[in-house]
Amino acid sequence: MPKHEFSVDMTCQGCADAVSRVLNKLGGVEFNIDLPNKKVCIESEHSSDTLLATLNKTGKAVSYIGPK
Amino acid sequence: VNSVTISIEGMTCISCVQTIEQQIGKVNGVYHIKVSLEEKSATIIFDPKLQTPKTLQEAIDDMGFDALLHN
Ligand SMILES: [Cu+2]
Ligand SMILES: [Cu+2]
Repeated sequence: MPKHEFSVDMTCQGCADAVSRVLNKLGGVEFNIDLPNKKVCIESEHSSDTLLATLNKTGKAVSYIGPK
Repeated sequence: VNSVTISIEGMTCISCVQTIEQQIGKVNGVYHIKVSLEEKSATIIFDPKLQTPKTLQEAIDDMGFDALLHN
């Protein structure tokens, strides 16, 4: 499955938990959250646009870094 | 104009509070929102023609926080 890397402006464990909840709600994803570096790496068949829109739901500043 | 209090689980700091206030504050029909970290809740004043307690609870839930409505 393709891997995508995103930058998400997470500041605490609460943010990181919110990110995992929205991703789990979307489904079809495997992900790794790197809170200190504010990065989220997602392995999924979903498009990067869909993943970006999902991450945006958290209300955090999100940007697509690129495929990994 | 109606008002509702929604319980929220998963907030750990003031930035979580601000994120929810900003995001839900932008929702159409929401006039005011006050989130309390201590009480783990949000009090929202809204237009009942545009929102219901249920749609507001879902909006918070969609952000990745566990939101619960009380009766
Ligand atoms: Cu946070
Ligand atoms: Cu927080």
